[in-house]
Amino acid sequence: MTTTLTDRYLAATLRSVPTARRDEIATELRALIADMVEGRASTGQDAETAEREVLTELGDPAQLAARYADRRLQLIGPAYYLAWQRLLILLLSFVPALVGLVVGVVQATISDNPAGAIGAGVSAAFNVAVQIAFWVTAVFAVLERLGTPLNMPKWTVDQLPAEPVQRGTTLVDVCASLVFLCLFIAFLPWQHFQTVIGAGERLPILDPALWSSWLPVFILVLVANIGLELAKYRAGRWTWPLVVVNAVLNLAFAVPAIWLLLTDRLLNPEFVDRFAWLRDGGIDTVARISVVVIVAITLWDVVDSAVKAQRSAR
Amino acid sequence: MAVDEVLRTHLQELRRGTVVVASLVALRQPDYGYALLQRLTGHGFPVDANTLYPLLRRLEDQGLLTSEWNTEESRPRKFYRTSESGEQVLRLLLDDFAAVQTSLAALIEGAPR
Repeated sequence: MTTTLTDRYLAATLRSVPTARRDEIATELRALIADMVEGRASTGQDAETAEREVLTELGDPAQLAARYADRRLQLIGPAYYLAWQRLLILLLSFVPALVGLVVGVVQATISDNPAGAIGAGVSAAFNVAVQIAFWVTAVFAVLERLGTPLNMPKWTVDQLPAEPVQRGTTLVDVCASLVFLCLFIAFLPWQHFQTVIGAGERLPILDPALWSSWLPVFILVLVANIGLELAKYRAGRWTWPLVVVNAVLNLAFAVPAIWLLLTDRLLNPEFVDRFAWLRDGGIDTVARISVVVIVAITLWDVVDSAVKAQRSAR
Repeated sequence: MAVDEVLRTHLQELRRGTVVVASLVALRQPDYGYALLQRLTGHGFPVDANTLYPLLRRLEDQGLLTSEWNTEESRPRKFYRTSESGEQVLRLLLDDFAAVQTSLAALIEGAPR
């Protein structure tokens, strides 16, 4: 017996129909297809064309099988979609960045290749993001297939936000701040190892002695600033507690930095020695300009946050 | 045109449930898939074969239809018939359908155009 189109169609359809009902569906479907072909042939069509048309009408075997098995053709349906989306956004909002930062910092401290450390951090963050997206989706797809009830608490009006929040802080702003902070943090180990002066010679810009005193403090403050940015984005606007934290962090950075600059302890003495104009009083100019810039930025940032908090409180 | 597309989806939505009702009515007299398809089409219920055949099995699983194999003819055919509980469900569905019609008629009456 030769294999007909109908045989191939049946085989393709039955492949994904539950085994228990396969034979019965096969017999029924074969008869139905034969009926349909006969119906068309009786209007004068040749049997072969009729068969092709009937099978075309029945459509993709996988889709027909899904209808027989009462299976939905979707990865994650409406019952699970919101839970999936919320969990995914929650996890992606901080886990990759956190892991990337930790990996980057650890790499920077154990190897003398800070550029490589940044790369390791970025690639770790990317890998974590992909893994999170994959596994969360996979778990929800399985839940969808098993029809497991999620038992989520029912939505109530009490869950509504207290007031319609006009977002004073946009995602773009936050991302820009985070990138800046990460680059700043990365710069500290980078300048220690990678600053090239002259023919392949390297010297740290900042005094290496600070690694055992003030530099860890600066890094800590910058990391805390990342947390502040995230908290600000969650709140959707500047709140007074955030303004206070911001001011404290600004002072924690500015005061030691200014003090180190004014007492000539920030820059690496060897680095200063290499450049004549720095040695000959240029360092004081650099210090003075830096102090003014730091004071200006700090004041502007604190005042700006307070003004924004004031405005959004109204 | 976009309007045609909108109309098509609304008509589809409107028709969706009626196939079940029509099948339950039609199968008070036992029949097999293809013959039922033709009867429904003849009575103004055009339905795709790939929708109707799986639907019949689903209604059978739900106990609204019973089935019997007829092996007397040239090929074995599965004949479906509306079951006792199918008849009960059908009556409720028809009542509801009538209620929808009444409400709609009253709404059309009451609403000035």
